Amino acid sequence: VALEDYKVDMERCSQCSYCKWIPFDQVKSWRFAKGCPSIAYSNFLGYSARGRYAVALSLLNGQSSYSDRVVDIVYKCTTCGSCDVSDKICRYNLEPLEMIHELKFRLVEDGQVLPEHTAIVEHLRKENNMMAEPAASRGDWAKGLDVKRVPGEKAAVLFHAGCRYSYDKELREKARAAVAILKNAGVDIGIMGENESCCGGRAYDMGYKEEFTRLAENTIKAWTAAGIKTVVTPCADCFHTFSRLYPKLGAKFEILHTVQYYDRLIKEGKLKFSKKVPMKVTYHDPCHLGRRGEPYVPWEGKEKKVKNQIVVYEPKKPRYNGAWGVYDPPRDVLKSIPGVELVEMERIKEYAWCCGAGGGTRETYPDFSNWTATERIEEAKSTGAEAIVSACPWCERNFIDAIKAAGEKMKVLDITDLVKQAI
Amino acid sequence: MAIPKEAYRELEGVVGKEFISDDPAMLDCYRYPLSHTAIHIGPYYRVYTPRGAAVLLPGSVEDVQGIVKVCNKYKVKFKPSSTFWSAWGFPLEDDTIQLDMRRMDKILKIDDKNNYAIVEPHVIGATLQAEAMKLGLNTHIHGPGASCSCLASATALAGFGPSSAYMGQHSENILGVEWVMPDGEILRVGSAGSGLDWFCCDGPGPSLKGLVRGMNGSEGAMGVFTKCALKLYPWPGPDHLPVEGRPPAYKAVLPDQLRSYTLGFPSWKAWADSCYLVWETGIGYVAHRQFSMFGRDLKGAMVKILSDPTKTLGDIEELVKDPEIQKMTEDMKRDYQIVLAGMTPRDIEWQDKALDKILEITGGWKVKGMLDPDLYNWSLLYMLRLGHKNLNLVYGGGYDGCFGLGGSPDFGTSGEPARVEQAAAFKADWEKKGNIVAAGGDAMMGGIGGFGGGGHAMWENFTHFDPADKASTEGTLEFFNATTKYGREMGFGPGMEKMNDYARWTDGYSTPKEIRNRLLGGGPQPEAFRYHRKFKEAFNPNDLGDGYYRALDDTDG
Repeated sequence: VALEDYKVDMERCSQCSYCKWIPFDQVKSWRFAKGCPSIAYSNFLGYSARGRYAVALSLLNGQSSYSDRVVDIVYKCTTCGSCDVSDKICRYNLEPLEMIHELKFRLVEDGQVLPEHTAIVEHLRKENNMMAEPAASRGDWAKGLDVKRVPGEKAAVLFHAGCRYSYDKELREKARAAVAILKNAGVDIGIMGENESCCGGRAYDMGYKEEFTRLAENTIKAWTAAGIKTVVTPCADCFHTFSRLYPKLGAKFEILHTVQYYDRLIKEGKLKFSKKVPMKVTYHDPCHLGRRGEPYVPWEGKEKKVKNQIVVYEPKKPRYNGAWGVYDPPRDVLKSIPGVELVEMERIKEYAWCCGAGGGTRETYPDFSNWTATERIEEAKSTGAEAIVSACPWCERNFIDAIKAAGEKMKVLDITDLVKQAI
Repeated sequence: MAIPKEAYRELEGVVGKEFISDDPAMLDCYRYPLSHTAIHIGPYYRVYTPRGAAVLLPGSVEDVQGIVKVCNKYKVKFKPSSTFWSAWGFPLEDDTIQLDMRRMDKILKIDDKNNYAIVEPHVIGATLQAEAMKLGLNTHIHGPGASCSCLASATALAGFGPSSAYMGQHSENILGVEWVMPDGEILRVGSAGSGLDWFCCDGPGPSLKGLVRGMNGSEGAMGVFTKCALKLYPWPGPDHLPVEGRPPAYKAVLPDQLRSYTLGFPSWKAWADSCYLVWETGIGYVAHRQFSMFGRDLKGAMVKILSDPTKTLGDIEELVKDPEIQKMTEDMKRDYQIVLAGMTPRDIEWQDKALDKILEITGGWKVKGMLDPDLYNWSLLYMLRLGHKNLNLVYGGGYDGCFGLGGSPDFGTSGEPARVEQAAAFKADWEKKGNIVAAGGDAMMGGIGGFGGGGHAMWENFTHFDPADKASTEGTLEFFNATTKYGREMGFGPGMEKMNDYARWTDGYSTPKEIRNRLLGGGPQPEAFRYHRKFKEAFNPNDLGDGYYRALDDTDG
């Protein structure tokens, strides 16, 4: 697949503006109606999916060339996929998020990169993590944790902590708690510690496809050698990468997010709560667990037309529009915790507002990233909740930083925090 | 950059560096492909509207005034647009300054005692409706749907839509306008112009509603409208739409006071009679021939696809063969959708009885298949929010309306066979050539009541094609050209497929003067366009708008 393959999409984009908003049926107020953080922040049409289609077409047709503005348009996208959901309300044959990825890949291939990204990727190549930390200390988060070490020891389920939980000292306790919860519920769990490496998903969303492929192939090889069948991760980014991107490279592992595992264990009676956690919380759907967390469906085929000019696919092509993302397990877990009152924000599930940390924007556009997180905090505050709860360390880090910068008091929690308190 | 550097610097000084761009790729984002949608001139394969000289994002009326004054100083044309739906909002000439009004997006006031809202240009139907519903009110959402600017339709175009019979078209709903005139002066029209509240567009104060917008609006060619007040209407439902389901098949289960039906009729005469009776009875919160836009042969299958999140267009061929769907499609052959809104339980019962009586008189029926709860709740939400209006593009990515029968319901339904059938048969023949979707000829969509109170029905026969396919696009153009000729020969008059020929031509630029004059001068009321010219001379002395304003030289035509 190449950018050129999306030229028909570019010509079929009808400039309807749906990509800028949440699905119109779901609009409950003026304040929280916007869907795409990029255009909501930058305002010019270029910063929408429709604009990125136009920019790509302009470049492909030789009508314009790379400029600072073009680079800014392409990279100032969190790849949250909100546009993908809203576009597909009316358009069954456009793939804006795929096109945006291809556009990023093309800029990287052409050397049109951002210095912040270059530094991250150079480090990633050497140390296999996104956090500018040494590979050797990746397992430090689990020091003293009584858990099997894969591949030295065999375990039925591999716990993949991910870069953020491995290195973020303020957050890593959540990963330790998740391992303990699963282990105490009877799960035969192991970790790879310093042998774990970055999933490559964030490199993919930044436009570094080659780097993603290298990391993915290494991880798949390591898991296969260790006899891994099931992987559980507390990171939404890793979850998406493993479940949606790795199968394209031939991976066949069962992938679960910790919230899915908790939900399964609760429903099987293996995870029980004995303490009340009296707290009013609101849940933030991470993009990579929600709308981008739909199950992978293999497809290889081509476009054809029926009834003269109706565009369809042979065989039938899976539609990724957020309909089947992971929405119920986190909510079911929260609802099962005694004392927890879940109140919903206006933008939830497939049309949730992004936290602002994705696509490499946290590292390159801190103002934009912080503004996007602050918007979400405002929405969370409007519910009257005392805490915003999520299931992704990248979302949580961005919220913590935004709250700190704004002098706010809202708590930021992972579902694991509440589960731990209730046991 | 083709405008003087000093002009650019002055414009930058007005809005700030952050809100101006002349980057070529960015300017290409502000061009519209004429191989596309509702252009009403083409389609023309891979032809684009001209590239602007710069695009600006004004944040206030003062910003707009500053921009317009700089444009006057340097004699640079400018073109504002709010939500950029269709080619109207895009320049006709190179080196035009484009104003993207998106930063002016506030709902400034909702007066729930006097039932009106004051809005800025980038307020859209969905957001205004959501806020109004919280107060027991509703807004008319015009034809292009919930994604489009309320102000633009009210000030610069007609603003028809499915709820027009109950809520008027937006040109009727306008209660006041703030207008940055083409020379840069600011005028508040109506009661707001006298420092009073925004309750009447005809005064006390400057009573210039007719001048500002007339029948069809100035189409973005006479200054910039920066605020307007719009009439709101009662909403007997909850404070928000309780939406359920997975995308794209959202549904809403609403109180029994809101009911949605698809009505079918045994003949076009019965269809037309029902329109008159609906208007006479005063029922019909929303009334529109909506799902027919998918085509007579395909609409049953399409509503099934659209209301089921597991279905895609790849299911259409199988679904059209399903006997149950075939039955529903046949029941919907001569149809329209209607939403009843009872202000009290007694009211909704009365309205439903009245509707049953109308159906009894006309021999019509409530289409049973559409009473299936999934389809019922999907249809109800669709018609109230109009959040799926761009489904007219779902097939191949392009559509345009042709024929455009407008007037009394008898206009389209009289004749033997009925004119609508003649038009459908003509299109069905062209569908056989393969360049447009084979939808069954009749894909006529339009309002059961173009104005408040009804009395006027409008249809356009949707034609679906693939704008990325040269043969499809050019075949569609050929069909539209033939349609225009056919419409004239049959006495239907010119169709809406060529409605904007007078302004924009085949290359995307202004229509050549001699053709424009022939088109405007050869119409039924050329004097109106000569009168427009006088307005233009008085209010737009430097001619900084564009050809969408229908002005004709005294000596022309």
